[in-house]
Amino acid sequence: MSKLTLSDETRAKHGSKAPLLAIVGGALTLLSGLLSWSADPSVLEDVTVRFWPVGAQIYVMVMGVAAIVLGLLLRKRPLWMSPGRGLRILGWTIVVFALAMALFGVGYSTGALANLNEGLFVTLIGGVLVLTAGTVTPDVEIDVRAWPRLNSSLEILIIVAMMAVLLVVVAHALSLQEWTFIAFLLMIIGVAGAVLGGGLGGYLGFIGANNRRPLLLAAFLVAFLFPFTQDGSDANMSIAVQIIIFAATALGLNIVVGLAGLLDLGYIAFLGTGAYVGAMLSQSLFATVGWKPPFVVVMLIGAAVAAVFGLIIGSPTLRVSGDYLAIVTLGFGEIFRLAMFNLDGNNGPSLTNGPNGIPGIPDLNFFGFDFGERHVIAGIQLGRFANYYFLLLLLIAFVILVFARLNDSRLGRGWIAIREDERAAEAMGVNTFALKLLAFAVGASLAGIAGTIKAHVDTSVSPDQYIFLESAFLLAAVVLGGMGTVVGVLVGAVILKLLPEKLREVNDYRLLMFGLLLVLMMRFRPEGLIPNKRNQLQFHEDDEELVELIQEGHLEEVEAMEEAK
Amino acid sequence: MEAFAQQLVNGLTLGSLYALIAVGYTVVYGIVQLINFAHGEVFMIGAFGALSTWLVLFKGQTGLWVLPIMIIGAMAASVGTAVLMERVAYRPLRGAPRLAPLITAIGISVFLQEFVRLFYGKIPFLDFPDAKQKVPFPQIDFVTGPAITLGGVTIQRAALFTIGCLLMSAAALWWFVNKTKMGRGMQAVSQDPDTARLMGINVDRVIVVAFAVGAALAALAGIAQGLQVTNINFKMGFIAGLKAFTAAVLGGIGNVWGAVVGGVSLGIVEAMAVQFIPGTFGGSPWKDVWAFALLIIVLVFRPQGLLGAKVVDRA
Repeated sequence: MSKLTLSDETRAKHGSKAPLLAIVGGALTLLSGLLSWSADPSVLEDVTVRFWPVGAQIYVMVMGVAAIVLGLLLRKRPLWMSPGRGLRILGWTIVVFALAMALFGVGYSTGALANLNEGLFVTLIGGVLVLTAGTVTPDVEIDVRAWPRLNSSLEILIIVAMMAVLLVVVAHALSLQEWTFIAFLLMIIGVAGAVLGGGLGGYLGFIGANNRRPLLLAAFLVAFLFPFTQDGSDANMSIAVQIIIFAATALGLNIVVGLAGLLDLGYIAFLGTGAYVGAMLSQSLFATVGWKPPFVVVMLIGAAVAAVFGLIIGSPTLRVSGDYLAIVTLGFGEIFRLAMFNLDGNNGPSLTNGPNGIPGIPDLNFFGFDFGERHVIAGIQLGRFANYYFLLLLLIAFVILVFARLNDSRLGRGWIAIREDERAAEAMGVNTFALKLLAFAVGASLAGIAGTIKAHVDTSVSPDQYIFLESAFLLAAVVLGGMGTVVGVLVGAVILKLLPEKLREVNDYRLLMFGLLLVLMMRFRPEGLIPNKRNQLQFHEDDEELVELIQEGHLEEVEAMEEAK
Repeated sequence: MEAFAQQLVNGLTLGSLYALIAVGYTVVYGIVQLINFAHGEVFMIGAFGALSTWLVLFKGQTGLWVLPIMIIGAMAASVGTAVLMERVAYRPLRGAPRLAPLITAIGISVFLQEFVRLFYGKIPFLDFPDAKQKVPFPQIDFVTGPAITLGGVTIQRAALFTIGCLLMSAAALWWFVNKTKMGRGMQAVSQDPDTARLMGINVDRVIVVAFAVGAALAALAGIAQGLQVTNINFKMGFIAGLKAFTAAVLGGIGNVWGAVVGGVSLGIVEAMAVQFIPGTFGGSPWKDVWAFALLIIVLVFRPQGLLGAKVVDRA
């Protein structure tokens, strides 16, 4: 990307033309939404008709309007905004949008690029113009002192409004399918990127930092309200449930990898441990243990057993580290899978029914509340998965709480010290071995709890759910989102689980793209999408600009906060 | 006693296969301290390269004379893959934190498996079988066929081929490492890359050669595997790669002879575990578990391996 930025002189020379370029580019993008995109009506909800925008065409028009607004803002720039950056992000997104829709949305889906009509070419030209406008605009420092000061109730109102927008956006996105879904996603990336990158991001972050508790509460309120937008349908709720289980497990892994810096390639075994404990102690007719305690007890046992396994798997950390530790954990993960596959009574004791697994696990029932049945709350039907969704929401809230409190504690600082330099940490009096074991035990027990619920959600457990690839997925969620951060891991989990569900058309290529994504990610953005600042620095040690930026940003934040007080 | 001899032969065969793959891990690790997780996939692609050569040039032929050409085809495929992955994926990451190349390797591994699964049967102008299931591997006169019986011990012909491959490769490798300029360059780089560079050794080239050497031996292993089990599939690289890595660690990673010794020992241990561990935890369902248990024990208690290469201590 750095090669594409122009020298300051070129920018100063051509900067005056940027507003016009942006407005023309935006207008073209807007216009392209009114044109025909495809000669074949079967794709993208029929985009053949001119002057009758639907679906993806409306989304492109929104991006066009955003570009025009940014172009107008360029003329009279408020001190706390940087529309040039916003235009760059928006321009890239429009270009990617045009190419993705042309090549895949129309070309691949209809089987021939000949079906392309004029519309997307106009989009592409508009996108290039917007991108050019962003590139020739001189970058300006955002002046944080110009941030408008609001009283705190107004700030909270802004947060609530943002969360409400988020809820509407998510609910709408999930109602879409295939390439229209991607179109919507790209539009959100473009517009949100433009707004946040154009200067509002820092401001909103500032508001958020001032009101942490209301922000968290609002976020959970949105998550809580989400099932009510689904109109009784369970299709999206089942995806959401799988995402939360995955995210909770990935957050557990984040303690081990992100905080303590210990690589674990067999982490799925802990989720599996929980699931098998949940299944063996359930009311299922195939359960192999006669004792059937209440579910709360099962959860605790699942956590305890997983924690014990965590201690066992973590114990080699006394002697091995780095790549070797990764291989040891991979070995343990494979041993877990093979053991679950074998323990059917013929080979070893009868615990898991071997490859058949334990099916027929009944739904949970809390004090007469049956998770398998539909319930009507405030006139809105909530299906089976919605019930589990609420339970899992509590779980992930608990996991996030544990993660955040540990991160801010003496233990968390100890882990980070170990991650950065184990010997120095030990010399400073950190009990490295105990802390490393603790990281494994805590992470594993969180995954174990998630596993016990997963057994009931899936109604069956079998060894083929706990293969190495699943561990790779978990690690990818942590790395993709950004190691050591909560939001990053949540984003990574959503991307990895939601995209394959929404793009059934290319489902066969899912793993191919996953492999490619890992390679490209490590090559171009190894710190993840939403990185922890310290980690980002580690991957770009020689980037002095970034070092300054982070130091300055830190100082600015501190200054701004002090002023606010 | 007969059972013991039989398992010894089985173990030796299995171990030779592991050893051929393990050399690839160990050579690369010795020079760039990188666990090339995708090496198992290089082995798989070698097998598919041999199959493709046979399908294109000799479909229906079973004469022994096609074997050398199949070997060349297999080596071309796997060496090409390995060199390409080094150039495209690993080289840009040199000097990055250790996590990055490891995750890249996992990514490459998944990518290559899926690439073969999805596209092998769809190459234009070539009528290759679909690789989504097992694909039959051609049987060649003399190296496959009726087993040889020697005093109650059955020896598959393909097993002899595998062991022969290992012996010849080991000899060639010894000559290459000790007698050629490039081989001595490799030794120098593995001891001290910076000094080696000052002495005028092209380190980038040495690294590429290391990847290529490992890939060539993996290609041989791919053919041996195909001849032994009579079919190949896109997943064959994962477990074989993991076992071979175990073998490399067992022998002492970074030490070429360690890979050979480790491979053969691991094969024998596995074969003996199948036969001699009593009770319900014995037998072939548990053999992989014992192999991985051995891996963990070696990593924890003797990370420098049997032959004791340099002591590894890196975070």
